[in-house]
This record gives sequence, structure tokens and C-alpha cells, in this order.
Amino acid sequence: MLMNFDKLGTWRWVLAGIAVLMALFLLLPIVFIVALSFGDSRWLIFPPPGWTMRWYHELFADPRWLQSAWTSARIAVVVMVLSVILGLLASFALVRGQFRGRAVLRAFFLTPMILPVVIIAVALYAFFLRIGLNGTFTGFVAAHLIVALPFSIIAITGALKTFDPAIEDAAILCGAHPWEARARVTLPAISHGVFSAAIFSFLISWDEVVLAIFMASPTLQTLPVRVWTTLRQDLTPVIAAASTLLVLLTVVLMIVAALIRKGKSR
Amino acid sequence: MLSFLMPARRGSGLGMALPALVLLLAFFVVPVTLLLTRSVTEPQPGLQNYETLLGSATYLRVFGNTFLVSGTVTLVTALIAFPVAWLLAITTPRLAGILFGIILLSMWTNLLARTYAWMVLLQQTGLINRMLMAVGVIDQPLQLTNNLIGVTIGMVYIMLPFMILPLYGVIRKIDPAILQAAALCGASKGQALRRVLLPLAAPGIASGALMVFVMSLGYFVTPALLGGTSNMMLAELIVQQVQSLVNWGMGAAAAFILLVVTLILYALQLRLFAGRGV
Amino acid sequence: MTLKALAALTLISALAVPAHAQQMVFTSWGGTTQDAQTEHWAAPFSEATGTTVVQDGPTDYGKIRAMVEAGATNWDVVDVEYDWALQAGEAGLLEPLDFDIIDRDVLDPRFVSDHAVGSFYYSFVLGWNPAQFPDAQPATLADLFDTEAFPGNRTFYKWSAPGVIEAALLADGVAAGDLYPLDLDRAFAKLDMIKGDIIWWEGGAQSQQLLASGEAPVGLFWNGRLAALEAEGMPVGISWDQNITAADALVVPKGAPNRDAAMAFIAAATGAQPQADFAAATGYAPINTGSADLMEADLRATLPDAQTAVQVNADMAYWAANRDEIGNRWYAWQAE
Repeated sequence: MLMNFDKLGTWRWVLAGIAVLMALFLLLPIVFIVALSFGDSRWLIFPPPGWTMRWYHELFADPRWLQSAWTSARIAVVVMVLSVILGLLASFALVRGQFRGRAVLRAFFLTPMILPVVIIAVALYAFFLRIGLNGTFTGFVAAHLIVALPFSIIAITGALKTFDPAIEDAAILCGAHPWEARARVTLPAISHGVFSAAIFSFLISWDEVVLAIFMASPTLQTLPVRVWTTLRQDLTPVIAAASTLLVLLTVVLMIVAALIRKGKSR
Repeated sequence: MLSFLMPARRGSGLGMALPALVLLLAFFVVPVTLLLTRSVTEPQPGLQNYETLLGSATYLRVFGNTFLVSGTVTLVTALIAFPVAWLLAITTPRLAGILFGIILLSMWTNLLARTYAWMVLLQQTGLINRMLMAVGVIDQPLQLTNNLIGVTIGMVYIMLPFMILPLYGVIRKIDPAILQAAALCGASKGQALRRVLLPLAAPGIASGALMVFVMSLGYFVTPALLGGTSNMMLAELIVQQVQSLVNWGMGAAAAFILLVVTLILYALQLRLFAGRGV
Repeated sequence: MTLKALAALTLISALAVPAHAQQMVFTSWGGTTQDAQTEHWAAPFSEATGTTVVQDGPTDYGKIRAMVEAGATNWDVVDVEYDWALQAGEAGLLEPLDFDIIDRDVLDPRFVSDHAVGSFYYSFVLGWNPAQFPDAQPATLADLFDTEAFPGNRTFYKWSAPGVIEAALLADGVAAGDLYPLDLDRAFAKLDMIKGDIIWWEGGAQSQQLLASGEAPVGLFWNGRLAALEAEGMPVGISWDQNITAADALVVPKGAPNRDAAMAFIAAATGAQPQADFAAATGYAPINTGSADLMEADLRATLPDAQTAVQVNADMAYWAANRDEIGNRWYAWQAE
């Protein structure tokens, strides 16, 4: 009875009411930020006295925003590629490997995910101060890779576990080199896992703030660092304009992901 | 080129884990270990950093704030997430799809963008205060930012999906027949909820709660932007000690305490729910 | 040329410079102040010398100390508070300035020392949002502490620095001449009376936002930030009565990689024209004695320069000597 919506009676309305309120709660800031970005009040008075495109003009007129977005994109792409490659290799080892201590190794690989990012950030900042990697592209990539890799491993091992190795063996029996079999048979079969790993890794790097605040230098800033310093130093509605574009990007990515899933299920 | 990674078909496979292992050792284990060492070596060898942290009222307040906010956030998200996850599990696919879309949209929207929105929404002349005043709930604007109330609201917002998703996963797998059986045996809805549904959902609640609680303990961005000067949280303290005061010893000691609490909570979770398949 | 276009140029030239071209890093507090420093100091300097000025920020004293101690300084010129500059100079964190390159004689002697020269100077002034005080308007520092006559949040500078403590003592009736040494007990007792109503601002933009949005209808502000609000068309109340002056300084952290470029930059930035242009853009006062003649009379009237009759000078030497002690007490009190 509790697992059948139609038989819940008055409880239905309680559940539905809570869900609607939560949906409004989740949507409020997102809708609000879009509205704010078109408001013409410099001091975030809402509702604004009038509407304007001024903040978008300022955003695109200031090369520092585009520069940081470009930096973010470059770092995120490199993190994505490395995270998928390392994740694939590690997942093969974890799922197919025959060595002792695989469970321990798996737990170890996932540790950066459960530790508070602030610890990793402070530790890497101190370490990079010594070896001179702060403010470098390599430093950013290494830092983001550490936190992205666990998600990549989870996504790929998940897919790999459901794939029967016998099919790969069959390909090898038919004369394929083991690596060829992996690339041509196994990889396509687990592509949805690889795809999620790539998306997760990209997004983690693209959105990451805490590590980036510590790694950033004047010449190398990611978009979140730019938003963060602007938030702290200059509360201009340009932040709302930038945020709105980020929301738009999220919506586009979600639609793409949904379409891919739909295409798969056909 | 990849030949060194190419074990015999049924070889150990450890080699393939090597690149990730090396990366984690170099950029995770070594830096974290070096940092934690500094907690007992700077400014001089000894445990004085821990004594200061655990012995002064100011710092104990920071721990108090951190646990208070994390606990409240966990409780509030659990109270909201349970009915929502329940509804998601039993409603039509279409409605569930819309709700999931909203949850994922909020989860994937840039963290700073969301927090910025709350900064503006919650200020004294902000939308929330004005709506509350318009409907007559309050006549003076409430102080909702620069304090722990703002931090709690902002973090509940961020943590909700992390509670809903594991709960949904567990509730969805509950066999409706069990609840039907409860009804056949004469249980009222309230009894069925308390005695059957909640216990069956408990592992989901526990793993969601653990995740939310631990993430809240070490959260930096929301407290830094929505919190006030007089009620700092632990992550802020660590950053302040390291970045503004260059007091590596204290920063490292605070980080170590956070690390230990986190690991203990995870160990507890593994113990309590080992073998339950969650 | 607009600032954005300039920023674009700086970036493009930063990307295009050949490896041997001079480059240096200038660090300041961000926001509109640093934008003005970029436009009126760095851009003409780059044009004249070919040295690219990379902008960094915000200024962070902890970072400076960490850099110097680690021997990994990568900031060349930093805009800091003047009292910190004096203290850091004593502590050996700063390079001595080269007064063969920087012309000491044209600078306001209040803001020159071996390791630091003034960057600009400003006043902490009483500001309020007139819309929220329809009847009586606040007029004195004492009104800032009178929550009965002027209810609502007050906003003060968050960090331990000259300004707020002086204001509390002046409001409590201490004569301007008897301020130093600061009676901290008395100051904190005065601040305790309104502690529940204080919202701290961490940076200039936040102070403007708090005032304009009405979150804090009254407070103690940097004069330039109120001038900027007025320029944007916001109605703002300003009282110069007992305005408290303090200054920023330009310093070169020890081990700065481009020391020569840094000295040349400071010499250029403290020149009469750049100082006058910066003052016009920000409402902060120039520290070059020749700048006044280069400015319009009505503009000069809006600067702290014009308010010397009702002005209280914060004692930078006292602050430099007691900075840590006051700071410890300040932050402990805030966290109580």
C-alpha cells in the first residue's frame, strides 16, 4: 500500500506537497540568478528598477572572463582525457586483475573522494610551494586529476563488471591481439561507463573551486577562481551574467546526455 | 609502447593500476603526509598545536559550529529527502523524470553560482525577507546571511541531491509485496511506515546521512560566503591558519582532526552496514 | 581608451611578448581600485617602458610572508596598508626602496619611509543611506553608536586596521589629540554596545553593496567608495566630521624577481600626473604634492585633502608597533 501511489490516500497530497516545495526550493536560485543578470541595478536590488543587457556586454568586453573560461576548458579537457585513461587501466586491474589486495587498492583509489577537499588543497598547496608547481598548468591538472579519478574509476568498474570477459576471449580466440580485443570489443561494450567517467571528470575539474583558489596565479586562473575573486572583491552583476551562461551550459549538457541515453535505448 | 602494461592475458594485472597508483602516491599521499607531519613539528616539535586547538574556547566553538551545522543540515536534508525519494520511487516515470531533471539541474549548476544566488536572496532586503514580510509572517527583516542560518540554508540546498539519490536507490528496490503483507496483517499506514518502510530504507538513510554529514564537516565555500566573522567553521579555520596567518602547524593540526573524524565515520559506516549490500 | 580595451591590450601584449621582454607583477586589492591602478599607473608605465605589468590580487599579508620565507617571491610591487608596510619593513620582509629612482622630495612626507612610499591616502568617513532615515540624519561618529536614534545594522571594516577603534574612541568622547596610545578597553567596551548590530565588510565593493541594498543603512566607509556610489546615482549621505585618515603603501617584497622594474614602476606610479588621474578616478587623495595643481578645483573639493580642518590622522607608527597585539585582541573579540 505504501508503495502504490494511488492507494496512499491523503498521504499522497503530503508527499506531493513536499516534492513541489522542494522543486521550487531547488529552482528558486537558478531562476533568480537568470533574472538578476538582466536587472539594471548595480547593487543587486531585486526586483530591479529596469532591465538591461549591460552585464553581458561587460562580461564579453572583459578579456579576463573569456581567458579564465578558456583556461578552465583546457584544464578540464586534459583532466578528462587523463582521468579516463588512468581510470580505464586501473579499472581493468581492479575488475580483471588476479593479485592480492584488490579490495584495499580499490579503497585506496577512492580515498580522495571521501576526504574533505580542503585538506587536499592545503596539502598540495604546501607541496607545490616547495616544488614550484603552484600557478602552473601541470599543477592544476594534477590537483584536479586526484579528485576526478575516483569518479572515473567508479563509473568504469561499474560498466566493466557487467561485461562478460568471455566475449573478449572469443575475440582473442578468433585471432585478435588481446589489446585489439579490448579496444574493439570491450571498449565499445563499456562505452556508457567511459562516457560517464569523461563527463564527470570534465565537470569536476570545470566546477572545482577550493583546489583552484590555492593553485591559481595571476596569469593562470580558472573560471571558478575568477568568479570567486569577483564575488569577494567586486560584487558586480557580471557574476550573475556569467552564472546564467553556466546554467545554460548545464542545461545543454543535460539535454545532450539525455539524447545520448535515448539513442542508446533504441 | 604499451607493452610494459601488457600482462599475459591471465596475468596479475597489477601493472595496469600502476599509473594511477603512482599519481596518487606523488600528489596525494606524499603531500598529505608532509602536511600532517607539520602539525607536530611546527613551530617546534610537540603536541602544542593540538593542545591549543582543543584547549581554547575560541577553537572549540569552531568545532561546535561545525558539528552543529553539519548535524542540522543532515537532519533537515533527511526530513525533506525521505518523502521525495519515496514519491520518486512510486510515482509515474514522467513525473519522476521531471523531478530528477530538477534535482540534476540544481546539482550540476555551478556551485558558486548557486551560492551567489543565495547570498542575494537571503540579504535583509532580499527576496526571501520581503516575501515573508509581504505575507505577514514577520514584520522585521530576519538576519539570514553572515551567520549560521545562511550557511545551513545554503548547505541544505547543496546536499539535498546527495541524500535523495541513495535513498531513492534503496526505496526503489523494496518489494511492494512486503508492504502489502503488512497491510493484510492489519497494519495501519502509520504502523507500516514505522515498522516496515523506515527500517527497510534505513541503510539508504544511513549512507546518505553519512555522506552529507562528512561533506558538511569539511565544506569551505558556503560557510566562507554565507557565514559571518564570529561563527567560523573548521574548513575556514584551516584555510585562515594557512593562508592568512601562515601558521602551518595549527592549520595542519586542524586538518588532521578533520581527517581523523572523517575516517572514523566511514569506518563506522562500513562496520554497521557491511554485507547489507549498500 | 576604455579600461576594458586596455585590459584587452595588456593581455594580448602579455601573450605576445617575446621571452626577453620585461615583465613584472603588481598586486593590489582588486575591484575598482585595482582597475584604476591598472588604467592610470600600469598602462602608461607599460607604454613608456615596454615592461608588461601583470595584475594579481588580492593582497594577502600571509602570502607575502610565506613567499619571502620560502624564498619564492613572485610579486614585484604590492599595494599594502601603510602601517603594515612599516611593520614588515622592520621585520625584514621588504626590499629597501631605491630613492635614486623614486623622487622622495615630491612625496607627502607623512607617507614616505625606507621600505614604503604612499600609494594613495583615504579617509574613513561616516556614510548612510538617506532613504532609511526619513527624519533625522546621522551627522557625527557618536550617531554611529546610537542605535536608539538611528536603528539598523552598522557596517565596519572587518580587518584589524586603523579606523574603527579610533572611531569608537572619538564617539565615546576622547579628544582627537588624546587618541594615542589607544585605550583598547574603552574602545571595545564602546563597540560591545552595538556588537549585535555590526555587519563587517571585507572589501570596498561589499561595503557599497551593504549600504546601497539597505542591509546596513549606516557605517564607516572608505571615502572613495561613497564617492563611487554617488557617481552611480545612488543617494548617499556623507559626513566628514572627524574623518580618520589612513594610507596605502607601495612596497617591494624581499627577493622580488624584477626589482629594477619594480622601482621604476613605483617611481612612475607616484608621479604627479598618474597620482592625479588615479585620484580623479577613485576619490582617494594623491600623495604627490604636485598632483593638486593638475586637478580641477571642484574635484579637489571632494577629496580628503579638502577636509583637513575636521580630520584626524591615524598614527601609523603607533599602529606599526602595536599591530599584532591589537590584531590578536581584535579577532578574538570578533569571534567571542
